[in-house]
Amino acid sequence: MKHKIARNGVSCARDAFLIGGLAAAILAPIRPVAAQTAIQHPLPHALEIQQKETQEQLEVLSKHKAPVGPAAAHVLGLYRQHAEQERAYILPPLTLLPYLAEGKINPAMAWALPMLERTRAEKEAIFNQHTEIADALNALSQAGIASHDRFAKEFAESALADDLNDLEILEPTLALIEETLHAKLPAAH
Amino acid sequence: MLRRLSVIAVAGGLFLMPAGMRLAWAGDASAGKTVFTNVCSICHSVQPGQNKIGPSLFGLVGRKTGSVPGYSYSPANEAANLTWDEATLDKYLQGPRAMIPGTKMTYGGLKDATKRADLIAYLATLK
Repeated sequence: MKHKIARNGVSCARDAFLIGGLAAAILAPIRPVAAQTAIQHPLPHALEIQQKETQEQLEVLSKHKAPVGPAAAHVLGLYRQHAEQERAYILPPLTLLPYLAEGKINPAMAWALPMLERTRAEKEAIFNQHTEIADALNALSQAGIASHDRFAKEFAESALADDLNDLEILEPTLALIEETLHAKLPAAH
Repeated sequence: MLRRLSVIAVAGGLFLMPAGMRLAWAGDASAGKTVFTNVCSICHSVQPGQNKIGPSLFGLVGRKTGSVPGYSYSPANEAANLTWDEATLDKYLQGPRAMIPGTKMTYGGLKDATKRADLIAYLATLK
Protein backbone atom coordinates (compact mmCIF):
# COMPACT_ATOMS: atom_id res chain seq x y z
CA MET A 1 0.00 0.00 0.00
CA LYS A 2 2.88 2.35 0.82
CA HIS A 3 4.59 2.04 -2.56
CA LYS A 4 1.31 2.64 -4.48
CA ILE A 5 0.81 5.92 -2.67
CA ALA A 6 4.37 7.05 -3.53
CA ARG A 7 3.73 7.16 -7.29
CA ASN A 8 1.43 10.25 -7.53
CA GLY A 9 1.92 13.49 -5.59
CA VAL A 10 -1.25 15.28 -4.36
CA SER A 11 -3.67 12.45 -4.92
CA CYS A 12 -1.31 10.18 -3.04
CA ALA A 13 -1.24 12.54 -0.11
CA ARG A 14 -5.04 12.71 -0.07
CA ASP A 15 -5.29 8.95 -0.36
CA ALA A 16 -2.78 8.53 2.44
CA PHE A 17 -4.85 10.85 4.61
CA LEU A 18 -8.05 8.96 3.86
CA ILE A 19 -6.46 5.56 4.26
CA GLY A 20 -4.74 6.62 7.44
CA GLY A 21 -7.99 7.96 8.82
CA LEU A 22 -9.83 4.78 7.89
CA ALA A 23 -7.14 2.61 9.44
CA ALA A 24 -7.24 4.66 12.61
CA ALA A 25 -11.02 4.33 12.78
CA ILE A 26 -10.85 0.56 12.29
CA LEU A 27 -7.95 -0.02 14.64
CA ALA A 28 -8.93 2.41 17.43
CA PRO A 29 -10.84 0.81 20.36
CA ILE A 30 -14.57 1.50 20.34
CA ARG A 31 -15.25 3.99 23.10
CA PRO A 32 -18.62 4.66 24.64
CA VAL A 33 -20.12 8.01 23.76
CA ALA A 34 -20.25 9.03 27.42
CA ALA A 35 -16.81 8.27 28.72
CA GLN A 36 -16.63 7.10 32.30
CA THR A 37 -16.41 10.32 34.28
CA ALA A 38 -16.75 9.00 37.83
CA ILE A 39 -13.80 7.25 39.37
CA GLN A 40 -14.82 3.65 39.89
CA HIS A 41 -13.45 2.41 43.17
CA PRO A 42 -12.45 -1.24 43.29
CA LEU A 43 -13.97 -3.89 45.52
CA PRO A 44 -12.04 -6.21 47.81
CA HIS A 45 -10.75 -8.78 45.37
CA ALA A 46 -12.25 -11.72 47.27
CA LEU A 47 -15.71 -10.24 46.79
CA GLU A 48 -15.09 -9.55 43.13
CA ILE A 49 -14.22 -13.20 42.63
CA GLN A 50 -17.24 -14.26 44.64
CA GLN A 51 -19.58 -12.11 42.56
CA LYS A 52 -18.11 -13.44 39.33
CA GLU A 53 -18.43 -17.07 40.47
CA THR A 54 -22.01 -16.63 41.68
CA GLN A 55 -23.02 -15.06 38.39
CA GLU A 56 -21.31 -17.83 36.39
CA GLN A 57 -23.02 -20.56 38.40
CA LEU A 58 -26.40 -18.91 37.92
CA GLU A 59 -25.77 -18.60 34.19
CA VAL A 60 -25.05 -22.34 34.05
CA LEU A 61 -28.18 -23.14 36.07
CA SER A 62 -30.27 -20.89 33.83
CA LYS A 63 -29.57 -23.28 30.98
CA HIS A 64 -30.96 -26.28 32.89
CA LYS A 65 -34.37 -27.58 31.90
CA ALA A 66 -37.49 -26.21 33.54
CA PRO A 67 -38.30 -25.72 36.31
CA VAL A 68 -34.70 -25.11 37.37
CA GLY A 69 -33.71 -23.01 34.34
CA PRO A 70 -36.43 -20.35 34.66
CA ALA A 71 -36.06 -20.28 38.45
CA ALA A 72 -32.32 -19.71 38.11
CA ALA A 73 -32.87 -17.06 35.44
CA HIS A 74 -35.12 -15.19 37.85
CA VAL A 75 -32.46 -15.32 40.58
CA LEU A 76 -29.84 -14.20 38.07
CA GLY A 77 -31.86 -11.13 37.10
CA LEU A 78 -32.30 -10.07 40.72
CA TYR A 79 -28.68 -10.86 41.54
CA ARG A 80 -27.29 -8.80 38.67
CA GLN A 81 -29.22 -5.72 39.84
CA HIS A 82 -28.05 -6.19 43.40
CA ALA A 83 -24.45 -6.88 42.37
CA GLU A 84 -24.39 -3.69 40.31
CA GLN A 85 -25.36 -1.68 43.37
CA GLU A 86 -22.77 -3.49 45.43
CA ARG A 87 -20.06 -2.62 42.94
CA ALA A 88 -21.23 0.98 42.59
CA TYR A 89 -21.38 2.00 46.25
CA ILE A 90 -22.02 -0.73 48.81
CA LEU A 91 -18.75 -2.68 48.70
CA PRO A 92 -15.95 -0.26 47.71
CA PRO A 93 -15.60 1.25 51.22
CA LEU A 94 -14.56 -2.19 52.46
CA THR A 95 -11.20 -1.62 50.74
CA LEU A 96 -10.41 0.79 53.58
CA LEU A 97 -10.56 -1.97 56.20
CA PRO A 98 -6.89 -3.02 56.13
CA TYR A 99 -5.85 0.60 56.67
CA LEU A 100 -8.39 1.30 59.38
CA ALA A 101 -7.35 -1.91 61.13
CA GLU A 102 -3.84 -0.44 61.36
CA GLY A 103 -5.12 2.90 62.60
CA LYS A 104 -4.23 4.62 59.34
CA ILE A 105 -6.73 7.31 58.46
CA ASN A 106 -6.23 10.16 56.01
CA PRO A 107 -8.44 12.78 54.36
CA ALA A 108 -8.22 11.00 51.01
CA MET A 109 -10.57 8.36 52.46
CA ALA A 110 -13.46 10.83 52.40
CA TRP A 111 -14.56 9.43 49.04
CA ALA A 112 -16.14 6.56 50.95
CA LEU A 113 -18.49 8.70 53.04
CA PRO A 114 -21.18 9.42 50.43
CA MET A 115 -21.24 5.71 49.57
CA LEU A 116 -21.57 4.67 53.20
CA GLU A 117 -24.25 7.25 53.87
CA ARG A 118 -26.18 6.12 50.83
CA THR A 119 -26.01 2.48 51.92
CA ARG A 120 -27.28 3.44 55.37
CA ALA A 121 -30.11 5.53 53.92
CA GLU A 122 -31.15 2.64 51.66
CA LYS A 123 -30.90 -0.01 54.37
CA GLU A 124 -34.56 -1.09 54.23
CA ALA A 125 -34.67 -1.07 50.45
CA ILE A 126 -31.54 -3.22 50.38
CA PHE A 127 -33.10 -5.56 52.94
CA ASN A 128 -36.15 -5.87 50.68
CA GLN A 129 -33.84 -6.84 47.80
CA HIS A 130 -32.35 -9.56 49.99
CA THR A 131 -35.88 -10.73 50.76
CA GLU A 132 -36.72 -10.95 47.05
CA ILE A 133 -33.49 -12.81 46.36
CA ALA A 134 -34.19 -15.19 49.27
CA ASP A 135 -37.68 -15.92 47.91
CA ALA A 136 -36.22 -16.56 44.46
CA LEU A 137 -33.53 -18.85 45.91
CA ASN A 138 -36.20 -20.78 47.77
CA ALA A 139 -38.07 -21.21 44.49
CA LEU A 140 -34.82 -22.43 42.88
CA SER A 141 -34.27 -24.88 45.72
CA GLN A 142 -37.83 -26.20 45.37
CA ALA A 143 -37.32 -26.51 41.61
CA GLY A 144 -34.11 -28.42 42.26
CA ILE A 145 -35.87 -30.79 44.63
CA ALA A 146 -38.70 -31.37 42.17
CA SER A 147 -36.23 -32.09 39.35
CA HIS A 148 -33.77 -34.10 41.44
CA ASP A 149 -31.23 -31.43 40.51
CA ARG A 150 -28.86 -31.56 43.44
CA PHE A 151 -26.61 -28.80 42.09
CA ALA A 152 -29.54 -26.37 41.96
CA LYS A 153 -30.71 -27.25 45.46
CA GLU A 154 -27.26 -27.01 47.00
CA PHE A 155 -26.42 -23.81 45.16
CA ALA A 156 -29.63 -22.18 46.40
CA GLU A 157 -28.95 -23.17 50.01
CA SER A 158 -25.37 -21.96 49.86
CA ALA A 159 -26.37 -18.69 48.22
CA LEU A 160 -28.96 -18.11 50.92
CA ALA A 161 -26.26 -18.39 53.56
CA ASP A 162 -24.19 -15.84 51.62
CA ASP A 163 -27.24 -13.58 51.55
CA LEU A 164 -27.34 -13.74 55.35
CA ASN A 165 -23.65 -12.79 55.42
CA ASP A 166 -24.62 -9.38 54.05
CA LEU A 167 -26.96 -8.77 56.96
CA GLU A 168 -24.87 -10.27 59.75
CA ILE A 169 -21.42 -9.04 58.72
CA LEU A 170 -21.40 -6.59 55.83
CA GLU A 171 -24.01 -4.17 57.14
CA PRO A 172 -22.51 -3.77 60.63
CA THR A 173 -19.01 -3.52 59.14
CA LEU A 174 -20.03 -0.67 56.86
CA ALA A 175 -21.67 1.07 59.81
CA LEU A 176 -18.42 0.79 61.77
CA ILE A 177 -16.38 2.15 58.86
CA GLU A 178 -18.70 5.12 58.55
CA GLU A 179 -18.56 5.78 62.28
CA THR A 180 -14.76 5.58 62.28
CA LEU A 181 -14.39 7.95 59.34
CA HIS A 182 -16.79 10.47 60.82
CA ALA A 183 -14.97 10.31 64.13
CA LYS A 184 -11.44 10.49 62.83
CA LEU A 185 -11.43 12.44 59.57
CA PRO A 186 -10.83 16.19 59.77
CA ALA A 187 -13.89 18.26 60.74
CA ALA A 188 -14.79 19.22 57.14
CA HIS A 189 -16.14 15.69 56.64
CA MET B 1 -78.82 -36.58 86.88
CA LEU B 2 -75.42 -38.19 86.51
CA ARG B 3 -75.28 -37.16 82.86
CA ARG B 4 -76.14 -33.56 83.79
CA LEU B 5 -73.42 -33.55 86.43
CA SER B 6 -70.84 -34.86 83.99
CA VAL B 7 -71.78 -32.18 81.45
CA ILE B 8 -71.41 -29.54 84.15
CA ALA B 9 -68.07 -31.04 85.22
CA VAL B 10 -66.75 -31.00 81.65
CA ALA B 11 -67.96 -27.44 81.09
CA GLY B 12 -66.39 -26.41 84.38
CA GLY B 13 -63.15 -28.04 83.39
CA LEU B 14 -63.11 -26.21 80.12
CA PHE B 15 -63.83 -22.94 81.88
CA LEU B 16 -60.94 -23.53 84.25
CA MET B 17 -58.55 -24.53 81.44
CA PRO B 18 -55.56 -22.14 81.17
CA ALA B 19 -56.10 -19.42 78.59
CA GLY B 20 -53.07 -20.49 76.55
CA MET B 21 -54.32 -24.04 76.07
CA ARG B 22 -56.38 -24.95 73.06
CA LEU B 23 -58.40 -27.93 72.11
CA ALA B 24 -57.83 -27.29 68.41
CA TRP B 25 -56.00 -24.76 66.21
CA ALA B 26 -57.84 -22.78 63.58
CA GLY B 27 -55.80 -24.21 60.72
CA ASP B 28 -55.08 -27.59 59.19
CA ALA B 29 -51.75 -28.89 60.46
CA SER B 30 -51.39 -31.36 57.62
CA ALA B 31 -51.76 -28.59 55.03
CA GLY B 32 -49.47 -26.49 57.17
CA LYS B 33 -46.71 -29.07 56.83
CA THR B 34 -46.82 -28.55 53.08
CA VAL B 35 -46.61 -24.80 53.56
CA PHE B 36 -43.63 -25.31 55.85
CA THR B 37 -41.87 -27.53 53.31
CA ASN B 38 -42.43 -25.09 50.46
CA VAL B 39 -41.77 -21.84 52.29
CA CYS B 40 -39.77 -22.37 55.47
CA SER B 41 -37.72 -25.55 55.22
CA ILE B 42 -34.85 -24.01 53.27
CA CYS B 43 -33.97 -21.97 56.37
CA HIS B 44 -35.54 -23.81 59.30
CA SER B 45 -35.43 -27.33 60.66
CA VAL B 46 -38.14 -28.90 62.80
CA GLN B 47 -35.65 -31.12 64.60
CA PRO B 48 -34.69 -30.20 68.15
CA GLY B 49 -31.26 -28.61 68.36
CA GLN B 50 -30.78 -28.38 64.61
CA ASN B 51 -30.28 -24.77 63.58
CA LYS B 52 -29.89 -23.88 59.91
CA ILE B 53 -29.90 -20.38 58.46
CA GLY B 54 -32.72 -19.79 60.96
CA PRO B 55 -33.23 -21.39 64.39
CA SER B 56 -34.91 -24.74 64.87
CA LEU B 57 -38.68 -24.36 65.12
CA PHE B 58 -39.09 -27.37 67.38
CA GLY B 59 -40.98 -26.20 70.47
CA LEU B 60 -41.66 -22.81 68.89
CA VAL B 61 -45.16 -22.27 70.22
CA GLY B 62 -44.98 -21.10 73.79
CA ARG B 63 -41.32 -20.09 73.77
CA LYS B 64 -39.87 -16.62 73.98
CA THR B 65 -38.31 -14.79 71.02
CA GLY B 66 -34.55 -15.14 70.79
CA SER B 67 -34.30 -18.20 73.02
CA VAL B 68 -32.95 -21.13 71.02
CA PRO B 69 -29.55 -22.13 72.39
CA GLY B 70 -26.63 -21.88 69.99
CA TYR B 71 -28.36 -19.62 67.48
CA SER B 72 -27.05 -16.12 66.85
CA TYR B 73 -30.13 -13.92 66.84
CA SER B 74 -30.27 -10.34 65.67
CA PRO B 75 -30.20 -7.82 68.54
CA ALA B 76 -33.76 -6.89 67.54
CA ASN B 77 -35.06 -10.42 67.92
CA GLU B 78 -33.24 -10.92 71.22
CA ALA B 79 -34.74 -7.76 72.63
CA ALA B 80 -38.28 -8.34 71.31
CA ASN B 81 -39.42 -10.09 74.51
CA LEU B 82 -42.45 -11.77 72.94
CA THR B 83 -43.92 -15.22 73.37
CA TRP B 84 -44.72 -17.12 70.21
CA ASP B 85 -48.39 -18.02 70.16
CA GLU B 86 -51.10 -18.02 67.51
CA ALA B 87 -51.57 -14.25 67.61
CA THR B 88 -47.90 -13.26 67.59
CA LEU B 89 -47.06 -15.83 64.92
CA ASP B 90 -49.93 -14.69 62.75
CA LYS B 91 -48.75 -11.11 62.91
CA TYR B 92 -45.07 -11.99 62.46
CA LEU B 93 -45.64 -14.24 59.47
CA GLN B 94 -47.52 -11.47 57.67
CA GLY B 95 -44.39 -9.34 57.75
CA PRO B 96 -41.46 -10.24 60.02
CA ARG B 97 -39.60 -6.96 59.64
CA ALA B 98 -42.74 -4.92 60.26
CA MET B 99 -43.30 -6.62 63.60
CA ILE B 100 -39.66 -6.86 64.69
CA PRO B 101 -37.73 -4.09 62.91
CA GLY B 102 -34.13 -5.16 62.50
CA THR B 103 -34.82 -8.88 62.35
CA LYS B 104 -32.50 -10.62 59.92
CA MET B 105 -35.20 -13.02 58.70
CA THR B 106 -35.24 -12.30 54.96
CA TYR B 107 -38.82 -13.24 54.31
CA GLY B 108 -41.39 -10.85 52.90
CA GLY B 109 -44.37 -12.45 54.54
CA LEU B 110 -47.12 -15.01 53.96
CA LYS B 111 -50.11 -12.97 52.88
CA ASP B 112 -52.62 -15.82 52.58
CA ALA B 113 -54.48 -16.02 55.91
CA THR B 114 -55.51 -19.66 55.42
CA LYS B 115 -51.95 -20.76 54.72
CA ARG B 116 -50.76 -18.83 57.75
CA ALA B 117 -53.33 -20.53 59.97
CA ASP B 118 -52.40 -23.93 58.54
CA LEU B 119 -48.69 -23.24 59.05
CA ILE B 120 -49.24 -22.11 62.63
CA ALA B 121 -51.33 -25.21 63.34
CA TYR B 122 -48.44 -27.32 62.04
CA LEU B 123 -45.84 -25.40 64.04
CA ALA B 124 -47.93 -26.03 67.16
CA THR B 125 -47.48 -29.79 66.65
CA LEU B 126 -43.69 -29.51 66.93
CA LYS B 127 -43.14 -30.60 70.51
